[in-house]
Amino acid sequence: MNSLLTITLVIYGLAFVLSMLVAGMIKLVYYTVRFFTAIQEAKK
Amino acid sequence: MSWHDVLSLFQGLQTLVDASPVLMAARIGFIILGMLLVYLGKKGVLEPLLMVPMGLGMSAVNAGVLVLDTGKTGTLFLDPLVTNQEQLFSLLQIDFLQPIYTLMFSNGLIACFVFMGIGVLLDVGYVLARPFLSMFLAICAELGTVAVFPIAMALGFNANDAASVAMIGCADGPMVLYTSLMLSRDLFVPIGVVAYLYLGLTYGGYPYLIKFLVPAKLRALPMVEKKVLVVTSAEKLAFAVVGCTVLCLLFPVAAPLFFSLFLGVAVREAGLHYFVDFIGGPLLYGATLFLGLTLGVLCEAATILSPKVLLLLILGMVALLLSGIGGIVGGYIVYLLSGRKFNPVIGIAGVSCVPTTAKVAQKSVSEVAPNVVILPVALGANISGVITSAILTGIYVTIIPHLNNLLK
Repeated sequence: MNSLLTITLVIYGLAFVLSMLVAGMIKLVYYTVRFFTAIQEAKK
Repeated sequence: MSWHDVLSLFQGLQTLVDASPVLMAARIGFIILGMLLVYLGKKGVLEPLLMVPMGLGMSAVNAGVLVLDTGKTGTLFLDPLVTNQEQLFSLLQIDFLQPIYTLMFSNGLIACFVFMGIGVLLDVGYVLARPFLSMFLAICAELGTVAVFPIAMALGFNANDAASVAMIGCADGPMVLYTSLMLSRDLFVPIGVVAYLYLGLTYGGYPYLIKFLVPAKLRALPMVEKKVLVVTSAEKLAFAVVGCTVLCLLFPVAAPLFFSLFLGVAVREAGLHYFVDFIGGPLLYGATLFLGLTLGVLCEAATILSPKVLLLLILGMVALLLSGIGGIVGGYIVYLLSGRKFNPVIGIAGVSCVPTTAKVAQKSVSEVAPNVVILPVALGANISGVITSAILTGIYVTIIPHLNNLLK
């Protein structure tokens, strides 16, 4: 039973970490695209 | 000529009379339930696009049972339990829905089509505007998806079946179908049916949960937007491409679902109007029609009647209830962290039944404060719910087969 609860917590923990990583990736993508768009606009 | 000979002219009636009392009661029960689903779909209590074909299919398949060549009873709709290749080839030529089931349903293609359609309808700008908040609420709303896993195992399910049942908590039909296809082929039919039946119920049940857990004063809390982030199509497209690639890299087993979802998003953001019209119209609605029809036809009493079904019904409800509670708890956490400026009702939108739970959240708020708009933030959490459901699908499908020995 203990190992089952541990595994459940590990699954939730892993899902939480991955979700936050995806959120971080979203921010990174957003700012990267913003950065290149700003450079392009500055060149014009 | 006995009355039984007369009945043999009408084989649906004959097989009903000849069946065991339990099977007879189940068939009659499913016929009535099917009619009820059509009625509730028409009334708008349940999702009509799914419930009307599903209900009619359920009634028809349980009425149209006949004696086949082999002497056994069956239908001319489809046989989900066929495993023999020769038999399958023969059935593909006889049962009219067998090609749809074999070539589109049991390999998850129909779920992928629905996901492409959802992708086309999604505006990921809501997630891009507040990614951490949206993903946090969404992962809180996966409480049932995780918590029901040990509960199901304690009730005697093996790890594969327990994970498939727990996935009902994510309230995402294609994900549930996909997980049970990958992990639990024996329970695939009842789990799929229970999941879709309950998805219809979230629309009716969650408003009561919100009223029970969030007082009217907090429900009326207005959202103060500091700065509305403008997200361009290029940013959304870049997110779709990078997000799809990274998630496929992490969870190859759920790659078809990720790909389908982000394909829809990419097509929309790239401005491919012909594809958008096709995927968001004929493909999505065609897939939904056949999904409902197949699910209804799968509800044949002889196929679905199993002692585990009652447990599935209970566990499915617990999973969705816990996910709703988890979402609202997430909403309360953000409410407290934001200095009591965040409407906790938004948390329930983290349950990824797009866009139903976001609409339910807005409706519950509008009842007490008609001028308060929470829909943009709720949609962000709602769309993130699809991503967290996909993440949990990936985790379950990837690690559960390796855990079977450990959990025995």
